[in-house]
Amino acid sequence: MSKPLVVFDKVQKHFGNFVAVKELDFEIREGEFLAIMGPSGCGKTTTLRMLAGLEAPSVGEIRLNDHVMNDVAPHERDTPLVWQSLALFPFLTARENVEFGLKMRGVDKAERRKRALKWLDKMDILEFADRDISTLSGGQKQRVALARSLVMEPQILLLDEPLSALDAHLVIRMQAVLTDLQRELGITFVYVTHSQSEAFAMADRVIIMGKGEIAQIGSPKDIYREPANQFVAEFVGRNNILSGKVASLSDDTARIATPSGDFTVPTKEVHLVKGQKASFVISADLLHISIDEPDARNKAHCKLISEEFVGSMVTLFLENSTGHEFKVQMQERELSKFDLKSGAEIWLSWDTASAHVLNEN
Amino acid sequence: MLSSSGRKFNLYALTWRLPIIFWQFIFFVGPVLFMVAMSFFLVKNYRMTEAFEFVNWSKMLSRGYFWDSYWYTVFIAGVSTICAMCIAFPAAFALAFRASESTRRWAIFLLIIPFFTSYLVRTFSWFVILSESGVINGMLGYIGLGPYTMLNTSFGTLVGYMTLTLPLVVILQTVTMANIDKNLIEAARNLGCSAFRTIWQVIIPLSKTGLIIAAIFCFILSFGDFVAPFYLGGSQEPTLPILILDTTKSGQQWPRAAVVAIMMMATLFAIAFAGIALAYRKKKGAK
Repeated sequence: MSKPLVVFDKVQKHFGNFVAVKELDFEIREGEFLAIMGPSGCGKTTTLRMLAGLEAPSVGEIRLNDHVMNDVAPHERDTPLVWQSLALFPFLTARENVEFGLKMRGVDKAERRKRALKWLDKMDILEFADRDISTLSGGQKQRVALARSLVMEPQILLLDEPLSALDAHLVIRMQAVLTDLQRELGITFVYVTHSQSEAFAMADRVIIMGKGEIAQIGSPKDIYREPANQFVAEFVGRNNILSGKVASLSDDTARIATPSGDFTVPTKEVHLVKGQKASFVISADLLHISIDEPDARNKAHCKLISEEFVGSMVTLFLENSTGHEFKVQMQERELSKFDLKSGAEIWLSWDTASAHVLNEN
Repeated sequence: MLSSSGRKFNLYALTWRLPIIFWQFIFFVGPVLFMVAMSFFLVKNYRMTEAFEFVNWSKMLSRGYFWDSYWYTVFIAGVSTICAMCIAFPAAFALAFRASESTRRWAIFLLIIPFFTSYLVRTFSWFVILSESGVINGMLGYIGLGPYTMLNTSFGTLVGYMTLTLPLVVILQTVTMANIDKNLIEAARNLGCSAFRTIWQVIIPLSKTGLIIAAIFCFILSFGDFVAPFYLGGSQEPTLPILILDTTKSGQQWPRAAVVAIMMMATLFAIAFAGIALAYRKKKGAK
């Protein structure tokens, strides 16, 4: 089991009266790819900046390798950051940019040149070594920025939405580059993003932040299938949230009455009381559709509103008689068997085990 | 279609530019051409007569006092530029990086205020401060020092130049450095560069263009200034503007004064051209 590399111990950050980070208490494991995800203003970038020493925590302690880092100046830390704006030095060539950190560390000229070229080669941009930064494309600049940080051979690499400025196809390619690099080098990556697809595609663990607090920590699968609360469920999206009151309880299930009907949910991991409010979520890809009314405990009769194709996957948007929206995700070839038109009436159903009860908060 | 609209646009732009072109021709190009022509005129019995002789040029350029004055002016304007750039930098740095947006705005406003009053008036106020019985010598007297002669020296000239140039240099430096992308400074810190070192490694390279333009302004203003060397420097060592005045006064030698003026303009052209080329130079060249 890997030991914690970084510990955030009850860390808070205030800017005047504004509380950017309410309280953070978590660990970063050695060698993991950790994504910190949340809507803008949730404090994710502030968290990363505190780790790099660009902001000092107002309360609490940040420890790296068991050393308290609170008062260590940014230039004395070994926590290189890849910036959203890349922040490459425009007055230096690609190679000089990569050499910058080594120069500051007092590495001699021949050695730093050798190491810079090695990294430029590794990032597949050796041929642009002596080019001006302004003459490089977005993807090439991205690679220079990565090389500039990785040439320092750090234990931990911080990334602040580094792919947000790239075209969609480049994002996919850079994701592969990043995950390969992380696996190959075995160093810890802390990746801040607002993009669920980036976080889920790359990270071993994801932290979902909202309003300066951690909403959930877990593997991408845990967060997708079993969101801790309504905030996470809504933020992750592509799922169906139903709310109502607990109507009856049995051993390990409960019946919840919602405006859209009564549904059965598993209660192994939660404690519900009869009459209390409860919400549950079902991932969009766990719903089944049928033309005839199915013989199932959980079903809803809906009208098809629209469809959205992304490659071979399709998302159906449906509405029941109370106006509640349902989302269903399925393979396009599955859907084509049904020959549906907009406005078609269909039945949705799901297994009780697919539902996941949310914590109230 | 594209070309016709392009032409229409050009005509429109030209209409707006005409007044300034006209102004430049009447009041700049014309007089300069006349001055160049005048440098070849002759003076007979205190009267200027039209001619085309090189005598003014050969006389002026072979005189030791001309070259003494020329190199002294280049030197003192250079010293002035270095002093102004160095004195202004910490202030501009603090305004650009430490001060809040509103403090910076107020500071720039306050730095413009000196230009409300005549430079000549501001220069005279230095008499009170710098003279043998002035404020500074008075204070030094209390601790048993001085009096020091500050008026009618090169020091006095420099004080005058600073009065003229410092507010402008601080403004130009501040505006330049305030526009630096703060991420780049943080990126340098993140890569192991101490706060002090970022000045040389990041801030100066990034503000190079603005800093050089500030220096050019400072040099041009000092080089051509008449007031400071005349009143505060006491024309001890005459700068070129003083030499021009002296030359016109002694025997109505306007043509020789024109030679000095042309030499000054040529120098400033060269300095400004070289400076701007340096400011916008792309790279040291591939190594």
